[in-house]
Amino acid sequence: MDNLHPLETKVLLALSEQPDSAPTLDHLTESTGLEPSQLSMAVEWLLAKSLIAVHAESVVRLASLTPTGDGYFEKYSPIERVLSAAREAGQTGKRLTIQDIQAKEGLEPSDVSKAVGNLKKEGAVLIVQGGCIESTGRTSPTAEAMRALLQELRNGQRELHTFAEPLRNVLQQHAVKRGNTREPFRIDERVTRSYVLTSAGQDAARRLSRDGVAEEVSQLTPELLKEGAWRNKRFRKYTISLRAPRIAAGKRHPYREFLDLVKLKLVSMGFQEMRGTLVETEFWNMDALFMPQFHPARDIHDVYFVKEPTHARAIPEPYLTRVTQVHEKGTGAASTGWGYAFDADRAKRLVLRSQGTAVSARTLAGGASVPGKYFSIARCFRYDQVDATHATDFFQVEGIVLGADINFRTLLGLLNLFAREVAQAKEVKFLPAYFPFTEPSVEMHVRHPQLGWMELGGAGLFRPEVTTPLGVSVPVIAWGLGLDRMAMVALGIHDIRDLFSADLDFIRTMRGSF
Amino acid sequence: MPTISLQRDDLEALIAGPDHEASRIPLEQLEEWLMLVKGELKGTNPETGELRIELQDSNRPDLWCCEGIARQIRIKLLGTAISYPFFKKQTQVYGKLVVAPGMDKIRPYVAACAAVGYRVTAAGLTQLIQTQEKLADIFGRRRRSVSIGLYRLAPIVFPVSYDLVKPDDVRFAPLGMETVMTLREILMVHPKGVEYGRIVGGHDRLPLLRDAKGQVLSFPPIINSREIGEVRVGDHELFVEVTGTDLSMVALTLNIFAANLADRGAVITPVEIQSPVKTKFGRRWNTPIDFGTPRAIPLTAIESALGEALGGKEVTTALKSYGYEVKSAGKKLAVRLPPYRNDLLHTVDVVEDVAISEGYARFAPVMPSQFTVGSLSRLEQMADRIRHLMVGMEFQEIISNIMGSHQDFCTKMRLDGTEWAKVVEVDNVMSMSYACLRQWITPSLLQVETNSSRAFYPHRMFEVGEAAVPDEAADVGSRTVTMLGAVIGHAGANFSEIHSCLDLLLYYLDRPFTLEPLVHPSFLDGRAGRIVSRGRTIGLLGEVHPEVLEHWQIGVPAVALELEIDRLLDDA
Repeated sequence: MDNLHPLETKVLLALSEQPDSAPTLDHLTESTGLEPSQLSMAVEWLLAKSLIAVHAESVVRLASLTPTGDGYFEKYSPIERVLSAAREAGQTGKRLTIQDIQAKEGLEPSDVSKAVGNLKKEGAVLIVQGGCIESTGRTSPTAEAMRALLQELRNGQRELHTFAEPLRNVLQQHAVKRGNTREPFRIDERVTRSYVLTSAGQDAARRLSRDGVAEEVSQLTPELLKEGAWRNKRFRKYTISLRAPRIAAGKRHPYREFLDLVKLKLVSMGFQEMRGTLVETEFWNMDALFMPQFHPARDIHDVYFVKEPTHARAIPEPYLTRVTQVHEKGTGAASTGWGYAFDADRAKRLVLRSQGTAVSARTLAGGASVPGKYFSIARCFRYDQVDATHATDFFQVEGIVLGADINFRTLLGLLNLFAREVAQAKEVKFLPAYFPFTEPSVEMHVRHPQLGWMELGGAGLFRPEVTTPLGVSVPVIAWGLGLDRMAMVALGIHDIRDLFSADLDFIRTMRGSF
Repeated sequence: MPTISLQRDDLEALIAGPDHEASRIPLEQLEEWLMLVKGELKGTNPETGELRIELQDSNRPDLWCCEGIARQIRIKLLGTAISYPFFKKQTQVYGKLVVAPGMDKIRPYVAACAAVGYRVTAAGLTQLIQTQEKLADIFGRRRRSVSIGLYRLAPIVFPVSYDLVKPDDVRFAPLGMETVMTLREILMVHPKGVEYGRIVGGHDRLPLLRDAKGQVLSFPPIINSREIGEVRVGDHELFVEVTGTDLSMVALTLNIFAANLADRGAVITPVEIQSPVKTKFGRRWNTPIDFGTPRAIPLTAIESALGEALGGKEVTTALKSYGYEVKSAGKKLAVRLPPYRNDLLHTVDVVEDVAISEGYARFAPVMPSQFTVGSLSRLEQMADRIRHLMVGMEFQEIISNIMGSHQDFCTKMRLDGTEWAKVVEVDNVMSMSYACLRQWITPSLLQVETNSSRAFYPHRMFEVGEAAVPDEAADVGSRTVTMLGAVIGHAGANFSEIHSCLDLLLYYLDRPFTLEPLVHPSFLDGRAGRIVSRGRTIGLLGEVHPEVLEHWQIGVPAVALELEIDRLLDDA
């Protein structure tokens, strides 16, 4: 009883004001002033609460125009058009067959023959020799009635019983029946119900009129607050079990959220961010990393080359000379070198950065701090066929650690820290590995709760052939973490391309548990 | 690097060695031993006994075969190097191989030996061919630096000659063909000629190996003769030859083959190479050849690199049981690699071998102790601030690929032929969909809009990411810029909406700005602006041109904003 909707209150009060009549919906529309849709809603609710009951039901037959009828109103009914054509032919002396009428008026044969049949029966036309139609000059009551009905029903539907009998007969003859839908009129039955208050309804209405309508409101408004009028209001209770309407939040991309977390972890471990360029020279991308120019991984199939310009103008000195010498003879780095003729032109060749280590090389040459820790989250490009495990470009999380205390054991210690901080892994395995620019090299495997043993990253001590030419005299750890698989598990996706999805709904719904 | 296929039985027999009965090795044990060779077990087939193993080290081609893997493991089990008599200086040679003058212009070097007494089995032949292919393909860079030929020894009459001939002067029946062909015909018709012809292309004379009777052995590095150069199961006298462009690589490759065949029971007899010019091996030398030199290494160098005072004894044991020859004298070690290896460039290479031989688990991790301060770059800090503000303005963040197509970045944006259509393009394009780097972010976001007509509106999205803008003044011909791109798409999206976002964003960043009218093909004329701040253009915004929307098949109006974050820093 508490939660009567304002619409329900209105209907209850309207019914109680006319205790002796049983109003229909039409009556109630007038007395409540509600929209028909609101009214029928309120009546449904009140019936469901047994506050009102159906008093009586009556069936009313309603006549209305069909789309065919609308067409007749626009262009006249076939019977009128046939009659008019016959009259016109009579005046001009032309002979007129049924086929002529069909062709001239563009009417259906069945409509024409039905019209002719009616007109003949009423004596308005004659059918003479050769199947020609002649007007008798008499009027057709059917045609007249048809015109009146089209005119009348054009304004809306009307109860069938209010039409005079001749009209009613024509109407019923030309109403849509089963099997013949191309008729101008239709007759529908409408059930009209009248309603009365139940005794509970009467009680409710009495209480309402006695207590005054503590008007129920759905929305608290500034006006209600300003005037204090909310004190006399009842706030309608909501059905709060309904599903909330969907909204879109402004939010970070879940993969970026993951990378942000990695970034935060690295900074909190004392790493400084470094940045590089998407386009690099082979020099920084590979030569400076002591990858010989004949190295298989430098083949055309692993790197994207830039079309224009093809080469950088120059490689800064003294790095070009030093790197050339270390490749050729190991000069300065206590190494034998690779023993081949270094191609300085090749060093200038522009490529799309294929490894984040290029950024590390530039940082070392730029005068890195000792001790120093650096990281970059760099977009890299590999000449790979794009599939579920290879994206055209991807993020590499890489970095370096410089320090007099750096050796193989501190390298393992750092990797342990990564395993714990970045992957929350308790179990770690170190395996011998190969990278062209580190020696010794390590692959770190961790036990992931869902994936089991997985490779988390690779690392090693930069070869002196890398560090010495760049002017660094302390040992340097180079490390890289392969986090994409971890991110994919956290995001519940199985295709690396989905990390770069272009589907807004997918991105909106994706959520990560990091 | 390479992944090879081998038979478990074969591997077990080679690990046991010729004098011992092979026994079944559990896979777990095998996987642990594979750490010695940086190998990873990629797959097993219990029915056929096949093992697939990936070898990582591109400087250890000796490990890219069943024999090499087994050898490294067997040495560990023996605790000492295996000695191969044929590497010792000796005068006894099987025959001579004479290099003709002029070879240095095309393919100067050759090495060869005879291997007698190993009867080739089906499994053994498969392994020989696999090793030949992997070495020539990866180590020899598709036969350019190194290629290998295997022959039946018996028909060959020594001395063998390695010389140059005119392409039409010699004919022989190559492997895989029924008929006799000239070298020119082989290059044009034979599959191997078509595949590898480029290596010797452009020369009017081609390399050829012939015996004393003029029988052709092979046309290196293309194809062997069918008569002599086809080894079959059951053969027990073999001739092995390696040609190439690098003397050390050629010698090393033959050493690997000789060691492999010796491990399978063959007796290796060297061949004398006679060169018309002096090489680092002289004018005459025998192959296989042990050309490594001892290296003196202070013990402390190893100990300090590993962070562990292992002591001379432990280091010596570790290296010996990894195949090294070691002489220790106090705090100094003289170490020498076995002849089938040539990857000792620096002390650190020895350091790693000590660690691998000991096992990485031998070394307890220690935390680096020195204090450093972590920080983000100023650019990243600015980018993060902008991202947070965009999120606050109810934009969804997007991450897109930077590589894409000219079609998307320029053509669809109506930019072809304009100054805005300059992009960094890739030379070796794999797919037209990935042929260049984006020069701005808006196309990436319109791509999302295209795919998202069923996502409820409004669509507000942004990306803070990198783009590459061609710039002649830059070292590498382009600048990498960090940009903010934002797009709003819905039925009522208009200039004012995105303008408000820009206005608020730059208010919080404390960057007063003005908008100047901009004529830009991607935007509706009169509804686009250049964002100018402190006298510099820092971005643009506008209502996306309906034709652009049509190109992208976008059915709602869209507005876009593009801001160069670097420029918010430069003169800040």
